[in-house]
Formats: sequence, C-alpha cells, structure tokens
Amino acid sequence: MVAIVMRTYERPVLLARAIASVQNQTFSDWELIIVNNGGNPAGVESVVSVARNTSGTSAITVLHLPERVGMEEASNQGLRASTSQYFAIHDDDDSWRPTFLATAVQTFSSHSNAAAVLTGVTRVHETFKGGKVWPEKHENFPLADSRLTYGRLIGGNTFPPIAALFRRSVLDAVGYFDSSLPVLGDWEFNLRAVRDGGFVFVSERLANYHTRTPESDRAAGNSITVGEDLHLRVKKELQERWESEMEPNGKSKGSFSREVEAEVAAAEAKLQAEIVAAARAQSQGRTIRRIARAVRHPKRTVRAVVRRVRPTAKW
Amino acid sequence: MSTAQVLNAHSGITVLTVDFFDTMVTRTVAQPTHVFAVMEQLLVQKHGSRWAGVAYERVQAEHRARVAAAHTDALRDITIEEIAVELAVAMGLSATEQSTVISEEKSTEISLAKAVPAAAAIIAEAQTRGIRVLIVSDNYMPASHLVSMARAAGYSWVTPEHVIVSCEHGGFKHNGVLWKKVLEVAGVPAAQILHIGDDQEADNVQPSKLGIATHIDTRMRLSHRDMHNTSPDVLPLSRIEATQRDSMYESEWNVAHALGDGLVGMVVAAQVADVMNVVKQREVAGIHFAARDGWLAHQAWNKLRESGVALPLASYTAFSRSVIWRASLTELTPDNVGRFIGEDEVLTIARLERRVGCALSSLYRPDEEIDAQSARAVLLENDKQVVAASQQLRQRVLGYFELQGLLKPGHHIVVDLGWTGSTIADMADLITEATNGASTLEARLTGMYWDATPNRMRVSMHGYAMTEFESLDNNLRLLGVIKLMEALVTAPHGSVVDFADASQNFQPIFVETAPELFAYEKLMGRVGEAAIASALALVQGTHASGVTAKDITPTALWAAILQVGQSPRRDEVEALSIVRHVTSIDHEGDGTPLVASPPSSPKSFPQGQLPDLYNTLIHGHWLQGSLRSCSYGDDTRWIADEIGHRWPFMKSQWVSSQLA
Repeated sequence: MVAIVMRTYERPVLLARAIASVQNQTFSDWELIIVNNGGNPAGVESVVSVARNTSGTSAITVLHLPERVGMEEASNQGLRASTSQYFAIHDDDDSWRPTFLATAVQTFSSHSNAAAVLTGVTRVHETFKGGKVWPEKHENFPLADSRLTYGRLIGGNTFPPIAALFRRSVLDAVGYFDSSLPVLGDWEFNLRAVRDGGFVFVSERLANYHTRTPESDRAAGNSITVGEDLHLRVKKELQERWESEMEPNGKSKGSFSREVEAEVAAAEAKLQAEIVAAARAQSQGRTIRRIARAVRHPKRTVRAVVRRVRPTAKW
Repeated sequence: MSTAQVLNAHSGITVLTVDFFDTMVTRTVAQPTHVFAVMEQLLVQKHGSRWAGVAYERVQAEHRARVAAAHTDALRDITIEEIAVELAVAMGLSATEQSTVISEEKSTEISLAKAVPAAAAIIAEAQTRGIRVLIVSDNYMPASHLVSMARAAGYSWVTPEHVIVSCEHGGFKHNGVLWKKVLEVAGVPAAQILHIGDDQEADNVQPSKLGIATHIDTRMRLSHRDMHNTSPDVLPLSRIEATQRDSMYESEWNVAHALGDGLVGMVVAAQVADVMNVVKQREVAGIHFAARDGWLAHQAWNKLRESGVALPLASYTAFSRSVIWRASLTELTPDNVGRFIGEDEVLTIARLERRVGCALSSLYRPDEEIDAQSARAVLLENDKQVVAASQQLRQRVLGYFELQGLLKPGHHIVVDLGWTGSTIADMADLITEATNGASTLEARLTGMYWDATPNRMRVSMHGYAMTEFESLDNNLRLLGVIKLMEALVTAPHGSVVDFADASQNFQPIFVETAPELFAYEKLMGRVGEAAIASALALVQGTHASGVTAKDITPTALWAAILQVGQSPRRDEVEALSIVRHVTSIDHEGDGTPLVASPPSSPKSFPQGQLPDLYNTLIHGHWLQGSLRSCSYGDDTRWIADEIGHRWPFMKSQWVSSQLA
C-alpha cells in the first residue's frame, strides 16, 4: 500500500539506521525501494542483507544505478519501480517514529483527496565522526497548516521530504520530480502537488529530520548543510524560469515567489528580533533576581563563592 | 497501632479531624501528579493531540500560580481556576478549553479516588463512638469537589459542612492559618480534637502548636517519586506501584518485591512479549535468551510453556563480551592488547594466564604484581600462545553454540538487555563465518544507545525501550542507568569466562564472585523471583494492577526505566547500595559499587573536578543513585545539586521524549 523510496550514496551506517526506522513501523503494508545512486553495490547489499534478516520479508528491493544521477532522477526511478496507493521519499539519513505510516495512512482515510499528509518534525542535529552518529540536539521543526499552503510554499520550501506521505495518483496528475534539478526538486514538486488536493497536517512529531553539524565527516553531510550556495543558485534559476508563468493573481510565478520569499524573510527577521529582545529582558530579570537573592541570603552567597574559588583538593 | 488503639490513646476527644489526600482518600496511581497523566490521556483520546503535554504544563502552571499568589498574599492557597488561567496562557487555551480542562481534572480525580483502609476504619470507629468527624485539606479544589471524591471513595456521609479546605479559607494547614479555622468550626477546645494525617509539618507540627493531638501515618506516601514526571507513559508502572502500596499497606515495605514486581517485571514481560510477537509474525530457526540478562525472561518463557501456552522451545545461551572477543582474536597487536587489560589494572602473571587461557613466559614471578603496561608487554611477547589459546576457545565456543542450536541454518533471535550490541555483533560474525552465512542472528534488545549505529550494519538489531534515534539527553540518561539495569536484570550465576572441552559437552564455566553472590542472596534473588511472577501475570493479563503486556509499550518501558533509574526512591538507593559490579575481563576482584560513595572530604572537594566525577559516575556507576546518595548528606548535597545544574538532563526530573 505504501512505497518508500530511499535514495542512498555511500553512507552505509546511516542507511542501516534509516532502514531500521522503516522496519520499526507499526504499519506493516509497505515496500521499500532503496536506490543506490551510483555507490558501491557491495556496501549497500551488505547492509540490506542484514536488514532482510530482521524483516523476514522480501519487501526490500534494491536498485543499483550504474552511475550517479540527480536526487530527483533517483527518486523517479524508485517510484517507477514500485506500485502503491501512497508513497514517501525517505532519505537515507532521516528517520520516522514507529507510528508515522500508521498515522499518515489513517489520516488519508478521512482526507482521501489530499495530495499529502504531513506530520510534525523533530530536527535532530547530529555529528557523524569515526563511523558513529552522535546526537547533539533535538528541536521542533517549525511546521503548521499555515506553512503548507501554495501561497506560503511559493516563497520557499517549508518541510523536509521525511515529513510527507503522498497520494500516488498525484504523480499522474502533476507528473514526477523534475530530474533536471540538482537540488530543490522536492520544493518544485511540492508546489505542483499542493494544488492537487492540498496538504493535511498532523501536529504530532513523527518524523525526524537529521542534519549533520559542520564538524561531521564531509561524506555524511546533508545536501542542505553542505551545499547552501547551490540551493540559493538553483532557487534563483527556478524563479527566473517561472517569470513566464502567470499566477491566478495576475503576477508572474517568479515575481510571486520572490515577493513571498521577501515577506517571509522580513517576518522571520522581526520574530528573531523579538526573541532576542525577550531573551535580553529575561536575562536582565534573572540578574536582578540573582542580586535580590544575594541580598536576601548573604551567607548562602558567600558559601557559593567560596566553593567556586576553593583550591584543588583530593576526592 | 490498631484503630481502637489510636482512638483509645486519645480518650477525651470529641472531634476527629482527618487529612484528605493520602490519609483518607488515595488514587489508583502511585503519586498525585499522575492524575494529570491520566487526564492528559483522556483529553488526547477525546480531543486529539492538541492536549499532548498538558500534564507537564499543568504541574508548571500550578507552580506559577503559587508564585504569583505569594506576591500578593503569602499565606493563602490558590484555586483550580487560578491554575487554569496559568495553563491557558502556557497552552493558548480558549475559555471553553479552560473549562474543559478543569472539568476533566475534576472527573479524573473522582474516577481515581479510593478510600485508605486505615483512615476508613478509624473514621467508622469514631462515628460509632459518637465522635464528630471533619476533613481538613491543603488543596486548590473547592469543598464541593472533595465531597464528590469522598463519596466516590465510599464515604457517603460527607457533605460540604464536613470539609475545611485551604483554598476557601485564606490559609494552609502547613502555615498554621487553617488550624485556627478548624478550631472555630469544631467549636470545642483543642484538647478535644485528634487529627490524623501524613505530613509532619502540616499535620503534626502546626496543629500540635495549638494543642491538637495528632497521629501520623505515612504509608500512602511510600509509592511517591519525583512529581514532575507526568507523561502518560508513566502510568503502567504507576498503576503497578499503586497496587504495591496498597498490598504492602499492612506489612513492612518490601523494596525487593517492589523493584521486581514493578520495573524488572515490566522489562521481563516486554522481553517475553516482544519475542512472542516475533514468532507470531515469522518463522525463526531458534530463540536464545542471553546469559545473564535473559535469565529471568527465559524462566518466564518456560513457565508459560509449562502452563500450556503454545510457544517454541528457547535456549538459555551463555556468552560474554570477553569470551566472544577472545574467541574472535586472530592477531594480538599493540592496538588490541588493551582489551585484555584495563588502564588502571594491577595484575599478576598467574591472573593474566587465567585471563588469556594459556601459560605465559616472562621474567616476573607468578604472584608478582605488575602494572597494565607491563602486563600488555608480556602478552605481546607471548602473542602466538595467546592467539593459539583464543583459537582453541573459539572451537569450544562454536561447539557450545552448536549444541545450543545456534548453528542450525536459518534466522535466530537473541534476547539481551543490549546497549551497543557489539558483543552480539561479534558473535554474529563468528557464527556467520562458521556456517558460511547459513545461520544469521537478530538481537532483540531492551535498549540501545548511539554506539549501536555501526553495529546495525553487522547484525539486525531491534531496541525496544530506547534506540539511538533518541535525543542525546536520553542517550546519556540510558548510559547513566545501564549499570542499574544490569544489576537488576540478572541471573543466580556469574559471568561465563570459558567453556569446557568436548568431553564435557562444552559446558559454560561461570565464575562466581563473592560480591555478586552476596548481593544475589541479600536482594537480587528476591527481585528476580518477584519479576518472574510479575512478568507472567503481565503477559497473562492477571496482574493485580490490571496492567497487561500490551500496556508495556516501548515508551512506557522507557518511562519505567527512568522512573526508577532517574528518579529513585530513597529505599531503592539504600537497598541497592550493597551491589558491586565485577567488570574485569576475568571477573575477578571486588568490582565497583553500583552506588558510588560520596567524596570523603566533600567540603574541600574542588569544583574543577566535577567533570571527572560526573564522567566516572556515568560510566562506572549508577549515576542517579550515586547522586541521590550524595543528596542525603548535608555536606555532600551540593555535589548532587551542582552536577544537576551543570548537566541539567541528569536532574531527577525528566519528561517524555516529545518534550525533551
């Protein structure tokens, strides 16, 4: 019922983890298509053979592409190799909580015309060093109904692929991913897909979007964190390409995209300024409370200071 | 003291006042704030994930409401409406949602209320003797609500006139204000009043100041833990602990039973239920419970089979990190020789020979003590003998595995507590090589942490309560409780250090150490017995708490591990202080204590050494148990506080992973 396309290239440790996240799903009617995008077949097969022992099923298919193609072409090849009612693009470095598929499929039952169901996302900052993954921080990835409309998405992508389960018939209606795009193919596809029934959002955070910190071994980096310049360049190119396409509001799609992008940037800058101001006010308040506490409890303060300056002694 | 004795000891009384919560009425959960966890569960069920996290926010909202009230009147108590306002601000609730949450909290309280037997008996006896009964409570709920709760618990005689509650009278029991109101309502001299309650300050010190006689009974508090941990995931253990509190009410608190029936029983039930699910879904060539972490589950598995449950035969298979690693050794180099000898170890040649399983030639006397560096040099000089001994061990290990059925072609399940899975991954390599890939392993682990990631490439692994997908905080919390889990989930025998030869059927040779035997005899044996009984009841759906294996979801088990491991009660820390871990490769020596002793000179202990101390505690001991032990001493409390301050995720308070 659900096809999961997992693109991978030379990241066996992360691939093993990603496959485990699929195998741990409480929803069991899935097929996993791993697209080895020109990487060493032996490495992928080694991980998959171990994984197949866990699943005990033949629901894992591997496509070894002879040479590396773009991310979107890899997705398309995986999709064309599968049949299903729904599909998801599960990158080899991301993961789901066990109830992601069950929740998304259940949500589709009451929103059968929706193009996709998305869940809340946790952003996991992690370092990949010496063949091991070291989680650094988990934080809420800002996602809400308001960020999933065409009018908001046109300004820039608002969610990672791991958050979404798509209705497969969307592919028939709007086409596959644009293979010519080196990055941001998911954004371009989302803009077409959202107009075919809209996106439904479930706020529970069931998807984990993993990003590697700059200290990580380079091969394990995200396409976004490693290639920010490329993303900016491709975005500009897309906006230029859209200049000739007209929106129902009478603006060109390219202008509309730039306009929304500017509005979002301004709103985010304003919000950031408010957060900084609030943090500053809180910090000032904390200092005042500390001074007040020191005045109220002078002995306790002296003891704390003494503890901090006490010379070294043995355990 | 019996009911009659309590009343006879105060023969002149005409009024009996009774504290309400945990004296007269309790709940079917282990601690008061778990009412909010039940409330959250119900709100999410009825109205969706909008209400996820409301229990945690509810606790915080009450705190903020109390702080705000204290600014204007430090003596008065707050009301449920004031708490709801704070909650509304935090969660952005509408007026309707505010009413919903108040109404749900009240109805949840009523549904969970039950009478405390001792108080019910005293009240009944007092009423028989014609003594008037009043209820006195420090609480934010109105008297009318306490009446509803009392009636739900079986006190049908209670009316609002019987209830004196702090939020309606401008002061608490614990600051003395409410006691003046009690005297006024009672209308008799203080000497004619007996009060029964569970709080030293509120129910004893303050009323005694006015001449009111008191009787304190704290038995209903024995199940309390940290009040901030309120995710609905805590409820299975909470319900079990509430049942323990009630069943041990008339006897002495039995910490071994509490641990075994609670956390350990849940772990064992989860291990068994997980394997039952696997064999329902697919065929496996063999099921193998690992020594020693799988001993309890293996016992439970066999008892289920004996009781007629259709389950396949499962083996109890001995292996250990040291044996598997030695059996895998093909070359001894300066890089890997360290795995035979710890950095700080002082050894003799005789002990070293036992450790590597062969005679060693050296210039040292057999009983002469040598440091780790010298010992490693001796091994490298004897590398051929060491490798040959390892290869012989490999044959014995494989001979044993064959008898255990592990080399039978097909896919085998190995049940273990887990953590990094490296030992099972090494074992899988041995077996794959010996069978040319005909036999494969899958590890069903209770918990894994981040080191497990590369091992996933070597062996199929499934972490039940915890995986490396979780936050770093949870990974570290797991690290801090690993030693505790290994101590609790154990067997009546020591670790395997070798295997006999073919003439003795490759029998595993377990090493028995005095510290482990002592702990097993004093405590762990009883924990294990209770755990097996509890696990059977949980799997069969007959546990007195009503909890079943289905309730022990991965997050519920994780919450149970953290409730005990991260928020231990004092009785647990004290009981577990006798446990020592013998972790050397040959399992000789006295080992290290599970609960580390506080520094001998805490007043002069330097702040600069706290990181080293933290590191030692988290890797070598039960971190939170050791910190709790520190927190009990006036001189050492600052160390626990400071570590909690510097590494806040290691405070005893934790929340579910969604909020972490």
